[in-house]
Amino acid sequence: MFDIIKKIVKYPRLTNNYPDKALDSSLFIGSPEIDTDKCKLCGECVRHCPSGAIKINTVSNSITIDYAQCVFCVLCEEVCRSGAAKMTNKFELATKNKVTLQKGPWVIDENNIPYEPQALDALLQSKIKKTLGRSLYIREVDAGSCNGCDYEINGLNNPFNDLERLGISFVASPRHADMLLVTGTATRNMQLALLKTYAATPDPKLVVAVGACACSGGIFRDSYATNNGIDSLVPVDVYIPGCPPRPQAILYGILKALDKV
Amino acid sequence: MSMLELKSVLAKKFAECISNYTLKNSNELYIEVDSPATYDICSYIYQELGYPLISMFAADEKQLINSYAVYYVFADRQESLLLIVKTMVKPDEMEITSLSKIIPAADLYEREIKDLFGINPLGHPNPKRLVFHSNWPDGKYPLRKEFNLKQKLDFVQEKISFQKVEGKGVYEIPVGPVHAGIIEPGHFRFSVAGEPIINLEAQLFYVHKGLEKLCEGQSIEKCFYIAERISGDETFTNSLAYCQAIEKIAGITVPQRAQYTRVIFAELERLTSHLGDLGGICLDTGYGFATFQFRMMRGWAYNLADELCGMRFLRSVNKPGGIRKDFMVGKKSILLKYLQKIKKELEDTVDIIKSHSMFIDRVENTGILKPKIAADLNAVGPGGRASGQCNDVRKSFPYAVYDKLEFEIPKHYNGDVNCRMNTKIEECFTSISLMIQAIENMPEGKILEPVTKVEPYRFAFGMTEAPRGENIHWIMTGEHNSIYRYKIRTPSFCNWPALCHAVNGNIVPDFPLINKSFNLSYAGNDL
Repeated sequence: MFDIIKKIVKYPRLTNNYPDKALDSSLFIGSPEIDTDKCKLCGECVRHCPSGAIKINTVSNSITIDYAQCVFCVLCEEVCRSGAAKMTNKFELATKNKVTLQKGPWVIDENNIPYEPQALDALLQSKIKKTLGRSLYIREVDAGSCNGCDYEINGLNNPFNDLERLGISFVASPRHADMLLVTGTATRNMQLALLKTYAATPDPKLVVAVGACACSGGIFRDSYATNNGIDSLVPVDVYIPGCPPRPQAILYGILKALDKV
Repeated sequence: MSMLELKSVLAKKFAECISNYTLKNSNELYIEVDSPATYDICSYIYQELGYPLISMFAADEKQLINSYAVYYVFADRQESLLLIVKTMVKPDEMEITSLSKIIPAADLYEREIKDLFGINPLGHPNPKRLVFHSNWPDGKYPLRKEFNLKQKLDFVQEKISFQKVEGKGVYEIPVGPVHAGIIEPGHFRFSVAGEPIINLEAQLFYVHKGLEKLCEGQSIEKCFYIAERISGDETFTNSLAYCQAIEKIAGITVPQRAQYTRVIFAELERLTSHLGDLGGICLDTGYGFATFQFRMMRGWAYNLADELCGMRFLRSVNKPGGIRKDFMVGKKSILLKYLQKIKKELEDTVDIIKSHSMFIDRVENTGILKPKIAADLNAVGPGGRASGQCNDVRKSFPYAVYDKLEFEIPKHYNGDVNCRMNTKIEECFTSISLMIQAIENMPEGKILEPVTKVEPYRFAFGMTEAPRGENIHWIMTGEHNSIYRYKIRTPSFCNWPALCHAVNGNIVPDFPLINKSFNLSYAGNDL
């Protein structure tokens, strides 16, 4: 017992004060960016990108990165001959509108139609914030991830992040939840389970897509056993890009859904 | 038995049935066998020579030899030798004789091959679907070359059947696929009478993404990133197995500095994973203080990963031919500082938890996996080592520079949660010691020998010791630097059936604890 007390005294507080205090992100590898002044549109990064996130629009002669698809693998920086593609240390990338994840002009293809909240939904949204503003209960659903995102969500409960200090906690059943935190591409075998979990969550509810797979299918796009992102099955309120996003990036996304950041 | 002895023994016994011997990559002996004799030869190798079946897979080689091929991979762990029995299956036959009754470990592989290729294992004791659930239409086999990757098939409405246990007072508890904790999806069907579990059937493959099919025809560069994403917390070890296979095919010698760096990252991944598991075991016994101690140490390990490479999951560190960047320049002091901190804290915490009699009472004699069952199912990793299966790829098939470093493999025989926990605790200290040895002995020099071109239709194994155990990848290259067939067998695939045996006779509330002591990956199993 004495040993335990000694330890508790030794480590009184490890928790980062994020988001009140910004995180030192100097070491992180975050999102890639392309400097359009330097870019010669040689297409090298497009050919190499493993998840097909970079595209060149030949009509307007412009280049874009879709962060919903990007797996943050650093390859574009490596293969870029003109030094235009660079990894930044930005990690707070969560957004409510999928289109904003695509930097630059974009041709929306069939798979990329974003979910548009309708008038009723908009009303619901404001009600949600009123109702859930102070405390939030989350159910996590793994709909076919590689388990990276799930470990990072688990990381929200560790002493460094301690999610409960913000009045947010994880619950065991969707019936007790206000928010579904969904990871993975929504595989064929998880499709029904995801829809049932969504239906079992009482209204008003929020859905947050965590990671490249949930946002767009990521590197596992277009397989016989996957869907291209969970928004093909359920409406999504916030998209959190990353492969996997850091715990703080997920926390940022959760708070974004509540309009707290 | 050495390679030459083995060859002569087989040649003497099965002279007419073996058509071809090929030695590849210095330790992979492929023997081509007539299909009617496969059963006899495999059972001879398993029963008389005592080589375990460590992997089994099929490949669609219609373009090359007008037939499908089935590979049975046996290992001689003392001699670092792989013996691969290759047999042809003609497209108009599509049958093999099931080996499951003799080799229990073959059970799942045969069902997997049946689902993905449509090759029927005749005489299989339980030919239930494995990879696909009841929603998959009959007669569609994704790993046949003619199957279109992007095809979305209609859903079939049928019920999944489970093993029935009948008797007075027996009832079933269905759990999952969406669980109460933050874990991956899988369905567990418990048959219980009162509290003790009579039978557990695990319905997995909820996160089957068609990963092996996704890789076919893709460039070697792209598949590397898919290999990193087989199982999130085993990113580095999977990428390393992939790189090793590609390097063998390309005939490249990886620079020493890169090899030492790989040891550091592989051990860091093991340390992170084991600290998480130890925390999980404490959590599932309701021991809050210890849980947070382990989570704190795991947090430090992640911080160390950030310091070294900027990626918590060690992604984009490897590269076929070496490592992406010289990550260890000027990092020695910070590495040693973190490791000493973790080591001190781990020693203190282990002392505290081991003197807690209530905790030990919970883990001791819980979830016993008997050594015989562990051997039959080829249970690997800490789960196997806790049940007397003292195998470790780092010793039996040394890779990177493990043969130059000193370390011991933990040996435990009781096979309970306590043994698995102790195995993991000892391995944490081993990992720390290995990282320190690697950084002390690291030479200067190049870090990458680029892989520019690989010959088509060459094949090789890549083997690593993942945090969860023996990890085996087999790659056959295609034309224009692409992948023709990529077979991934992660340790979780071997250990899931072992877990189902370990829970029998235990009470349902102990299942989370037993599950956590194995901590298997669903993604790595389902692919």
